[in-house]
Amino acid sequence: MDFYLNLINTIGIHTMLGLSAYLLLQTGQLSLAQAGFFAVGSYTAAILTVIFQWNIIPAVLAAMFLAGFLAFLVGFPALRVKGLTLVVATIAFSEFVRMFFYNLKWRVTRNGEEIGPDGTMGFAEIRYFSDNGWSNLEVTFFLWTFVIIVMGIVWWSDNSRSGAVLRAVGEDELAASSVGINLTVIKVSAMTAGGFIAGLSGGLYAHQVTSLDHHSFTVLLGTFAIAYPILGGLSNVFGTLVAVIFIQGLLVEGLRFLGDWRMILFGLLIVLAMNFKPLGLFDKHTIGIIKRVIRV
Amino acid sequence: MLKIKSISKHFGGVKALNGLDLEVGEGDIFGIIGPNGSGKSTLINVICGIYRPTKGDVTFHGQTLSGKPTHQRLKTGIARTFQNIRLFPNLTVWQNLWVARNSVEDIKTESSFYRWFGKSIIVKKEIEEMLEFSNLENRADELASSLAFGEQRRLELARAVATKPRLLLLDEPAAGMNKDEIRDLDSRIRSLQLQGITIILIEHVMELVMGVTDRIAVLNFGSKIAEGNPQEIQKNEAVQEAYLGYSEDD
Amino acid sequence: MEDFLYEVVEITQTIWDGVLFGSTYALIGIGFTLIFGAMGKLNMAYAGAAIAGAYVGLAVSMFFDAPIILVFAVSALVSTLMGYIVYQTCFRFIPTHNHLAALMASVGGLFLIDEVIVLATRGSPMNFPALFEDAYFEIGPFGIRGDLIFVFFIGLVSTVVLLYVLFKTRLGMATRAVAQQDVAAQLCGINIHRTNSITFSIAGLLGGIAGAMTAAAVGVLSPVIILPLTIKGLIVTVIGGLGSIPGAIIAGLFVGGFENLFLYVRGIDERDMYVVALLFIFLVFRPNGLFSKTINRD
Repeated sequence: MDFYLNLINTIGIHTMLGLSAYLLLQTGQLSLAQAGFFAVGSYTAAILTVIFQWNIIPAVLAAMFLAGFLAFLVGFPALRVKGLTLVVATIAFSEFVRMFFYNLKWRVTRNGEEIGPDGTMGFAEIRYFSDNGWSNLEVTFFLWTFVIIVMGIVWWSDNSRSGAVLRAVGEDELAASSVGINLTVIKVSAMTAGGFIAGLSGGLYAHQVTSLDHHSFTVLLGTFAIAYPILGGLSNVFGTLVAVIFIQGLLVEGLRFLGDWRMILFGLLIVLAMNFKPLGLFDKHTIGIIKRVIRV
Repeated sequence: MLKIKSISKHFGGVKALNGLDLEVGEGDIFGIIGPNGSGKSTLINVICGIYRPTKGDVTFHGQTLSGKPTHQRLKTGIARTFQNIRLFPNLTVWQNLWVARNSVEDIKTESSFYRWFGKSIIVKKEIEEMLEFSNLENRADELASSLAFGEQRRLELARAVATKPRLLLLDEPAAGMNKDEIRDLDSRIRSLQLQGITIILIEHVMELVMGVTDRIAVLNFGSKIAEGNPQEIQKNEAVQEAYLGYSEDD
Repeated sequence: MEDFLYEVVEITQTIWDGVLFGSTYALIGIGFTLIFGAMGKLNMAYAGAAIAGAYVGLAVSMFFDAPIILVFAVSALVSTLMGYIVYQTCFRFIPTHNHLAALMASVGGLFLIDEVIVLATRGSPMNFPALFEDAYFEIGPFGIRGDLIFVFFIGLVSTVVLLYVLFKTRLGMATRAVAQQDVAAQLCGINIHRTNSITFSIAGLLGGIAGAMTAAAVGVLSPVIILPLTIKGLIVTVIGGLGSIPGAIIAGLFVGGFENLFLYVRGIDERDMYVVALLFIFLVFRPNGLFSKTINRD
């Protein structure tokens, strides 16, 4: 049971991570900075609950705001660089954040025990849930409440004018500005929103895994973040969810018995998927088919 | 309404616009013609803020536009269409119109709640009017990329009109159209004039320009070589030389 | 006063060694830049292919007791082949305008290569041979490592040969034509897929040389260097200006020198943070890199 709950939690967190990149990808900004915002969210929330003994909800929300604010700051210089330079710049940003936390040492003694981030040794003992008697099921419900809220917000965006505006910017910036869309406002907003969501999921992640290691926050995580919406298709929230379930559920956990081969299979599947379905598994074409099938 | 004062635009050594002076009166349908490379599209881009002029100024209702980015110029009432259609291909017809719906005054009278949830009745009505205007009522949910060429042109025009402009710049809207479509476009342009929109029409298709405009300016090599009503322009020797290399009297 | 002079010598030495090592970054940067120039896309699997080549070279030397120069040659050739394969699997069939899918596919390729290496070597680092390891000259207070000079020399020769091929041969001209206007190039009868696959192969060759040289300079080969090498290569490409070969060369040497300087001043843990900060500074002042090439694709 615990194994499945863990898996469900991971799926929830990665779905939020994917959605944080989703909004950005819609505006045409290929950003691998999500891992950086995720890391900021993780460490901030963990520091608040462990060192400052905050309650989990304000801690996670504070982490969300901090990451969002950081994303807001990043959003402006990001406007000046286009396309692949942005990819490299955001990779560099994420790496910088990771290295920052890799070097962060903030130890505090409480009840005779040393706690807090310990530089290269990582940040262990994030025991909020166990210290406060949360059952695993309660943790899952708590986490997924946030996931559902975030999914709801992004779904609303997709179906409102905001979603159309985001995608208009992603499709043709010149045309978008010619119909009155303020590109700066939209692109920075998308980056900020992405930062909020990534920070939120990071804060939850820290408490779910109870210990943080800089290896979790590499460029690999950033690539996962954009892989989900790309594979799932940029026109539908559920595409991202399915992509997460598929990748995390099947490949990472379900194929554990394949041992080390599962990563090879993973790489292979991505290459094949991109060759056959370059617009994602859930592009408009496939959704059209699914709609027709359901109607029948 | 729109004053173009000694506008020059240089691209390195190329003088796309060279000390151009133009004035467009409110309510006019103003045509701009000239051989290829005469600077017509550059002029539209300067008016819309896509290019910054090397010299000179553009004023709109007495206020200078210099320094204003494109989206802000839209808000002051200047809209345009593109020579190579620039719709949002993966958005539906409805969505293409939706993102352009920008007139804030009407919306403020309606509850924000409605507006946020995409259920604004005013917006819905206006988009429906635009769909009717462009004869695309049945196509609202189709992707813009799946429309036929003529339908795409109508959609682009509707999208520009949806922003409730006071000045509309049309960049070669008749390119690739057959006679029926041109006649249709002619009547659309006239109906827009009746709604109070001033129109600048950049065009090659002479039957449209001569038929629908009140005044025409002719450009060649970035300068104005003639201005007048359609009859005057047709008889103008300088114009004939520019286009044909000779005039009737040669 | 003595201490100050000592510091100056040490710092100059560090920068010098770094610049020599930076020739490998320059090669990787050139590789990324070639592919970006040809297709406007990033090949994230590039450094993976480079290191994979080095591994095969190493394997050859282990089974056949071959001379070291052969190890390098095999590494380079294998990487060339891998470059070709990466093109066919990750770039050829994806629509030209779809940058996302090609990026993801090459990321998938990177995962694949990385995992295969980890599996094959059980994750443990292996010693990589170097040439002229024992050569060490002293000029006054400065020491010159022979193996680094060799690395730099190989980098220099590779670059010269590349430039010759690009600018003096028909193949090179085709590559440049495709980079500037791919549709027009096709209309002139140039087979785009053939040209691109050759570009990828050439980039692969450079990568293989860089991979072998990096491993030789460091002395150890391990899959964990793939990601940092990728990132540094990307940083070099961006600082140099996407699509500019001279930019990549200068940026590579520059980053190599600075990196070593940061290592000396702040230690290994913080070194890479400063390299990243260097990138950000460049992006603030020159977002298009040192030599921005305005390849206008529409």
